[in-house]
Amino acid sequence: MKSFESKKIFIESNEYTYRVEHLTLEGTCSIDHGPRNVKIKNLLVDKYPVTNQQYSFFLKKTGYKPRDSQRFLDHKPNKKIFNLPVVFVSQNDAIAYAKWAGGRLPTDEEWQYIAAGPKYLDWPWGDKFNPSLCNHDGHKLVSVKANIKGSSWCGCVDMAGNCWEWTAGIHDDGNHQFALLRGGSYFYAHDHWHIGGGARKNNYHWKLQILNEGMNRAATLGFRCVYDAI
Amino acid sequence: MMQYKFKDKKKCIDFSLGNLNLSLDVDKNIFLKELNFIKNINNELFSIKVENKLIPKNKYKIETVSKNTNVNFTFISIDFSQNFENDFFKGRISFVHKKKNIIDFIFQLSVRWHKDIPKKVLLKFPFLINLHKNKNFLKPGDIFDGKKRINKGVWNLHEYPPSIISSNLGNQCLGFEFYDQFPWQANYNLGMSEAISNENFEKLQTEVQLTRDLTDIILMKIYTSSSGREKIFSLWKENTRERYDLRKYHDVKNRWIKKNYLQHFMFAYGEEAFDYKKIEFKINQIIKEGKEFGGYDSILFWHQYPRLGLDESTQWQLYKYLPKNYKTIKKIVHICHTHNIKFFIPFKPWDIRSNESLDSHAKFLEKFIKETSIDGFFLDTMSSLPESFLKIQKKFPSFEFCSEGTPKEQRQIESLTSSWDQIGDIRRNFRVDVNSNFFRFLFPEHPLNLVSRWSVGSDKDALIKRAAFNGMGMVIWQDIFGSWLPFSAQQKKKIKSLKNILSKYHKSFFGDNSIPLIPTLSKKIICNTFSDSSSTQKIYSIYNFGSNRINGRILKLPSAINKFKQIFGKNGDIKIEKKRNNFYLLANLEANEVILVSIKFNI
Repeated sequence: MKSFESKKIFIESNEYTYRVEHLTLEGTCSIDHGPRNVKIKNLLVDKYPVTNQQYSFFLKKTGYKPRDSQRFLDHKPNKKIFNLPVVFVSQNDAIAYAKWAGGRLPTDEEWQYIAAGPKYLDWPWGDKFNPSLCNHDGHKLVSVKANIKGSSWCGCVDMAGNCWEWTAGIHDDGNHQFALLRGGSYFYAHDHWHIGGGARKNNYHWKLQILNEGMNRAATLGFRCVYDAI
Repeated sequence: MMQYKFKDKKKCIDFSLGNLNLSLDVDKNIFLKELNFIKNINNELFSIKVENKLIPKNKYKIETVSKNTNVNFTFISIDFSQNFENDFFKGRISFVHKKKNIIDFIFQLSVRWHKDIPKKVLLKFPFLINLHKNKNFLKPGDIFDGKKRINKGVWNLHEYPPSIISSNLGNQCLGFEFYDQFPWQANYNLGMSEAISNENFEKLQTEVQLTRDLTDIILMKIYTSSSGREKIFSLWKENTRERYDLRKYHDVKNRWIKKNYLQHFMFAYGEEAFDYKKIEFKINQIIKEGKEFGGYDSILFWHQYPRLGLDESTQWQLYKYLPKNYKTIKKIVHICHTHNIKFFIPFKPWDIRSNESLDSHAKFLEKFIKETSIDGFFLDTMSSLPESFLKIQKKFPSFEFCSEGTPKEQRQIESLTSSWDQIGDIRRNFRVDVNSNFFRFLFPEHPLNLVSRWSVGSDKDALIKRAAFNGMGMVIWQDIFGSWLPFSAQQKKKIKSLKNILSKYHKSFFGDNSIPLIPTLSKKIICNTFSDSSSTQKIYSIYNFGSNRINGRILKLPSAINKFKQIFGKNGDIKIEKKRNNFYLLANLEANEVILVSIKFNI
């Protein structure tokens, strides 16, 4: 396997009870947070978030150029940071990559199952928070391989901390469009009015209200792909 | 100074200061017998407990009674002492008259502790408790509704309006204010202000820390009026404002802020403000929709919260990420200006980073003003204007600052010349009440925009009524950070009507002679009056807070009428009645309705 290719993990079809705890400070997150039973189909999932190296390879191969490039890859990926998760990508940028790779973004429900598994773990590694198993309040991104010990039940790394991850779909409550982000990031802002940063529990998502692409990209926001398996 | 001599064996002291007549019995402790129209009081001015033991009355000794009468200044003071279980107390009660109709009452106390070890001292003020129990006593902001006293006034600044006792006819009044309240617990006056507003005032025991020298314990201003409660408010207002430097409010370059009746809160992340297909802000649409409210006077653009904190981007950087960088804002500002709409951006004080200072933010702001021509800066949770931002106003004299909370303290009020009047809390089943905001009347030059972000349905109706009742503008905020809570077509119509009225009668509404909660002739009616002392026109805002229609006399008017007209609210079928040289306003007013009436008087 070449280094730009992703390591994939097989997730066997299962039914599980989806439940997200998401009390916003203000501005309701108007989706059904459960508990509700959901069916997860057979999936392959990226073991790691998509890295700078993988995304650079994708660009090289496809010549992908976003329609609106404001803040696109603002961190200027280079070889020194090839092992870090790619960030400054919008949901559209992530989808473009996923399609090229033969996959898609995980749904919010799939993401939670990949992180929490059939035992409904609170954190990828178990039920107790352990900041040493993830990049939480770490001041910068780290290699996707830095926190192997914090892998989820199925072996996925960085499901908590390091970078937020896009999930699939734009939700529309009739007046607003938003996407759901998962996992939290290394960045942990100081005030309660800020987005709650750091590593986040498996049953937490954050509502990113969609605006133009410049606002939809961030230094802490990456993604991983899933692939439908028969 | 001359020594005062007791005139009779009962050791009574009767004296007059200004319009205040007092009778004190100083035989054992100091008893207040009479205070103007309040007879048979017979309560101690104070009682002292030391480690929970009450000092007996016979322990008090009157040392001296001093008096000084001068053209500009009169005082009488009574020095007393008491020796109690080897601790020696000395105290002084003083009444000082300098300003017309205002008397200062000062209570001071000192102690020499046995072996210099302090003890716990609690004070009670029985005469105040007696006044508090008086059937004609009104706590600050209270009115009578026939059966009981109810609160219909609010304020959120550190000046507490006076409590008032009226004579049975209502013309003779005394106001009691515990003034100059710093917001700190060791200030006894603040404690008294808070306590006298509470139901359980009679249980109040004030703990005091005493020294060898006389310490000020209570500083109470007594206002006297022989022309009703309105006069007490006017005296308090005049006396309070006297120490404020309000020059900033009169700068002609900032005059526009006084007509900022409707501010639109433009939350960027929603259909109201953003076209997801065209990827641009719908400023023309917003302005067009604003006309249903009577037209926005300003727009507050909001996109940093709840987005800040996703990464390290600062609040200023987030503007760069908007389509076409700052140019988006510049373009929107330009469109607003062509419609005579001012444009605000917000500051996020909670986002100041460890490597930033307010000066650095002021520099960003200055750059932003130059690049985009914005007109104002919304200070969010700040309630004061820092020096760094004051400097901005020196460079851009028409630039304005507005805060989310009404300023509370003197310096804040002097420098921050506009704010929201924000009420409401979704977590506590908040109900919007129609009541009087005393700040609005104390500082009419300070524009307030009423807002209750989470209120919907009947609470939005009440919000409009409350704005009308207080003659204030509003914030039109429909997208609450992602919750869409719009006004109905009927509500928009009412707001439009209110805006037009505020604009048309601006001089009266924001005049210097406005008074909250004037006496009415109906127990379920409250009324504010707005006027400028240079005009014979008055606006009366009238609210029927009862559950039944009221039909009949509701107000006694001060003089003969030239013209009158209802200018807001459902038809109240208003009439003027003249009887024996008295003039009355009659109305047929639905329950829970607010009407505004304009009256031009002959004099």
